Formats: sequence, C-alpha cells, structure tokens
Amino acid sequence: MSSDTTGVLPREGVAVSGVRAALLQKRTRLGEHAYTVVRWGGAAVFAAVVVALLISVAGSSSQALTRSGVGFLWSGTWNPAAGEYGAGILVVGTLLTTAVAMVIVVPIGLGTAAFLSELAPGWLAGPLSTLIGLLAAVPSIVVGLWGLIVLTPIFANQVEPFLASMPLLGWLFRGEAYGPSVLLASVVLAVMTLPTMVALSRTALAAVPVADREAALALGATRWQAVRKAVIPAARSGIQAAVTLAVGRAMGESIAVAMVIGNRPALPTSLTAPGATLGSAIVNQFAEASPGLGTSSVIALGAVLLLLTVAVNAGGQALLRSGGGHRAGTAGALR
Amino acid sequence: MTVASALSRRDLVRAAAQRSLTRRRITGRLAQALCAVAAVASVAPLVALLYYTISRGAQVLSWSFLVNAPTPPGIPGGGISTAITGSAEIVGLALVIAIPIALLAALFLFERSGRLAAALRFSADVLAGVPSIIIGIFAYALLVLPLHAFSNLAAAFALAVLMLPIMIRADEEAMRTIALDLWEAGIALGARRGRVARSVVLRGALPDLVTGNLLAIARAVGETAPLLFTLATPVAAMTLLIYTDGTQAFPIAQETAWGTALVLLAFVLLLSVAAKIAAWRISRRAR
Repeated sequence: MSSDTTGVLPREGVAVSGVRAALLQKRTRLGEHAYTVVRWGGAAVFAAVVVALLISVAGSSSQALTRSGVGFLWSGTWNPAAGEYGAGILVVGTLLTTAVAMVIVVPIGLGTAAFLSELAPGWLAGPLSTLIGLLAAVPSIVVGLWGLIVLTPIFANQVEPFLASMPLLGWLFRGEAYGPSVLLASVVLAVMTLPTMVALSRTALAAVPVADREAALALGATRWQAVRKAVIPAARSGIQAAVTLAVGRAMGESIAVAMVIGNRPALPTSLTAPGATLGSAIVNQFAEASPGLGTSSVIALGAVLLLLTVAVNAGGQALLRSGGGHRAGTAGALR
Repeated sequence: MTVASALSRRDLVRAAAQRSLTRRRITGRLAQALCAVAAVASVAPLVALLYYTISRGAQVLSWSFLVNAPTPPGIPGGGISTAITGSAEIVGLALVIAIPIALLAALFLFERSGRLAAALRFSADVLAGVPSIIIGIFAYALLVLPLHAFSNLAAAFALAVLMLPIMIRADEEAMRTIALDLWEAGIALGARRGRVARSVVLRGALPDLVTGNLLAIARAVGETAPLLFTLATPVAAMTLLIYTDGTQAFPIAQETAWGTALVLLAFVLLLSVAAKIAAWRISRRAR
C-alpha cells in the first residue's frame, strides 16, 4: 500500500542559501535515518521476541525430548516419581475437554449470534451485545474461582448424578460424582470462550449483505429460512474462524482448568471422572518438578501445547484471511 | 381440461402451499425460540458469575482490606495491599516495555507492505493466540533460570510479551483509520516521515490507540499463568493471590480470594468500559 512511496525524501531545491540548505538537508537526512532506525528497531525487537520464544521453549525441553524421542508425544504415562514422562494422556485430556467445551459452545454461541444479529429487536440486541462484550474481559482466574467454589458442589450433588441417571447418554457420565471432572472443566472453558465465539460469529453474520436476506425473503422464505439458508452459509468462513479461535483459546487455558479438573493424569473413564490437560499439568507439576529432567519434561509439555495451539490458530488466521472483506471487521471484534 | 378441474387444481396447489407455509412458519418459530433460549443460556452463567463475585466480594471488601498488608494464615485483619501494588507495578513496568515497541512495530507495518510486513503481521496474530502459560515458561527460561531469581521484572517481561501482539495489531488498525491521503499530504508538504508519523498518524489515531491499548492492559491485568513462573510469592499480584487462596480449603483464605476477585474484576471492567466509551466517542465524532 505504501511501498510506492518508500524512498520519498523531502527535496530542498528552493531559494535557501547554500550553507543553510546543506545544514537543513543534513539534519533532515539524520532525522529521517533516525526514524527509519527506530521503526525497524521496533519491528526487529518484536521479531526477536518471537524467535527467542520458539528457541527457548525448544531449547529448554530438548533434554526431555532427546531422552524420550518423538514418543514423548504419545507415550501414555506421566509419573515423575518413577522418572516416566509422556504427554500422551495429557494430549488426550486437552483434546477431550476442548471437544466437550465446543459441543456446548458452538450451538449456544451460534444461536446467540443469530439471535443478536438477525432476530432480536434493536433495543435488546444492542445492550445484550455490549454485555457479552464486557463479559469477554472477565479474567479467567475469576471464572476458575467461580467454577471451583460455586459449581463444584452443584455438579457433585445435582448435575452429575442427574446426567448419570439419563437413559442412553448416562454411560458417558457413569461413575462416582466427585465434582471436579473433565465435564466441569469443559463447562468452565465453555463459559470462558462463549463471549469470543458470540462476538466473532455475530460479526461474521452481520457482514453478510442485506441483499442476500432480501433475496431469500422475496423468494418466499420465512425469516428463519433466510437465516438458515442464506445468511449462515454466506458467513461460513467467519463462523469457522470463530470456532477455530475458540478451540485455540480452550486448548491453551491452564489455570482455570487446573482449578476444576481434579488433576489426575490418567485416561478418564467417563466425563465425570477427574482428568488432566497439558495446561493443568504444567500448572500442577511445575513447582514440584525436579531440576533437570523434571523441569525439562514440564517445559516439553509446553512445547507440545505450543505446537497444538499454533497449528489451530494459524488455521484460524488463514480462515479469517480467506474471508476476504470480513477480515478487518472480524479483527475488530476480536479486540 | 374443463374450467372446473383447473379451478380445483388451483385449490389443491393453494392448499399445498398453505400447508408448506404453515410448516415452515412453525419450524421458524421453533428455531427462533431456540435461538432466544441460547441467548439466555449464554448470558445467564456470565451474569450469575458476576453476581456471585460481587455479592461474595462485597462482604469482604473494606478500606482496611485494601490498604493492609497480608497477615500470616490464621491472623485476622490482613489485607491485599501488596497484591494491588504488586499488580500495578508489574503491569506498569510491562506497559513501559510494550507500548513503545508496539507503536514502532505498528508504524513499521503501517508504512510498509510486502512479504516482510505480512510475515510480521501473521506472527503477531499467531503469537496473540499462544497460551499465556507458554509465555510464562518463556520468561522463566529467559530471565528466571539464568538469574536464579524470581522478580517483578521477569513478570513484567512476560506480560509485555503477552500484550505486544495485541497492541501491535490494535495500533496498526488504529493507524489505518487515518486516511492515506493525510499521510501523503504530510509527505508532500516536505515533512520528514518521522514528523508525519508524530504529527499526523499518531495524533490522528490517538483515541483509537487509547482504546486498543486499554483493552490490552485489561487482558494483562487478569493474567495468572505467566506470573506463576516469574513471581516468588503469591501475595505479589492479585491474580496469583486469588489462585493460591481460592484453592485452599480454609474459609478465611477463600474470603480473601473473593475480595481480591472483586477488586480485580472492578479494575478490569473499568478499563473495558473506559475503552468502550473512548470507542463510542470516536464513532460519534466520525458521524
């Protein structure tokens, strides 16, 4: 955009006496160079931070990775006492909590977005959107505290026994109802990612041209059919990006999950059983890790988590970019 | 074909259309109701969370809670003053690091296009999605391990890294609201690029810059995971205090956690509301 103007330097060809002109030009050149230097400097510092982050996480986890090799990724046991370190179960735990959270977030978030953008009257949609936007700012530690102190007893005494008693679906929730569980962690993640999901998909829906809706209505579609058959398909890439970014956020959350998941690094036998994720394991194991291999293994968990989230987020960004014109708007909603 | 049969066919078609419309209307009503239920379902837990934090926190909150230093477990009368000042210090230090770098990097992105800028923009977007706990590990490996000391500086560095990508993208978007014409006019007047950046781009984008940076600060204040790896004691920051006290079984510790949560929440919401008001004034001015 601005490449055609690079190299534009003010030219003093006007009636300024020779010495002054030379001085002015020198000063101008100096200032110009100084500005170029600091501007490049800012960009370079940022690039250096990104590179340093990658190197230091990779470097600090190298001890664990060279010992276990690529098997670290799927090796099942995490037992520091026996010197056995593997990320497999934690990867499963991360994917499981994220998946369950998305089962909750996607329909509710999309329904809310459709309600706010297409169905609700303006006097309701405006304040509700503002409220949900504000709630996106609630720190995850506060959501975690609420999950731990308020939701845990409710889940142990009411929600989990009720879910276990359901026909057909009950086997998903079988076993002792403790409270802290994969399910509770997923619910906390859902509460945390919901505002982002709603804001992003609402922006994607709102970016669909009014003409699309009018065309559908003119063909005899009901209001809901216009939303279902015209608006949602047109906003698909934006909605996919919203889901992807919510997935990235849910996978990376650590503290709030550590507070409610029960922290048992074993394969969960049901959704109401305690479990562990990469993030929660890092939080819990870090302080106790023995220097050397122990710490390196915990950091290696971070490396695995970094790979997972960067892959998901890069996918999300690619989706946002493929959305073309909606990109700027969606980035705005992210803030 | 007789007139009568044509008429009866028309009735048949009309009846079928009527049935289809009724069916579609009922589906539509049902779906709309479900969407309204979804909206209630997404607002309800968030409102419950707010309500609970406010009511539990308000029972604990008092002047002495804010200004007293924490006491050892079991001794009453303790406050959270060190956590509040600690959080302020860490975030303040992080801002001193992050704001200038973000502004300069954003200016770089604003004035350049091409592969380098695109790569930088992409890495900012991806870094913004990196879990905060990994940024904590980064600060730990880079500053805590080599120096053998947990410090506010390491925590501030972690928060700065966390804010950088958010700030860069927000700053660049803010600068993009300044028309390229204005930038070119400044250059055409013979002003240096640095001068144009200062007097045209930064000045014009100032309200938007404030909004974006306020939101980044709100995000940083509420972060816990990076502090876990960089601070020696939980009373050194509000979020860390909520984590350690909230996970204890003692009622007194939990009360402290709720009180701190309320202070933190008030602070974060205040920042977001300030940002919203700034944004609203901008959009009003633009109209």
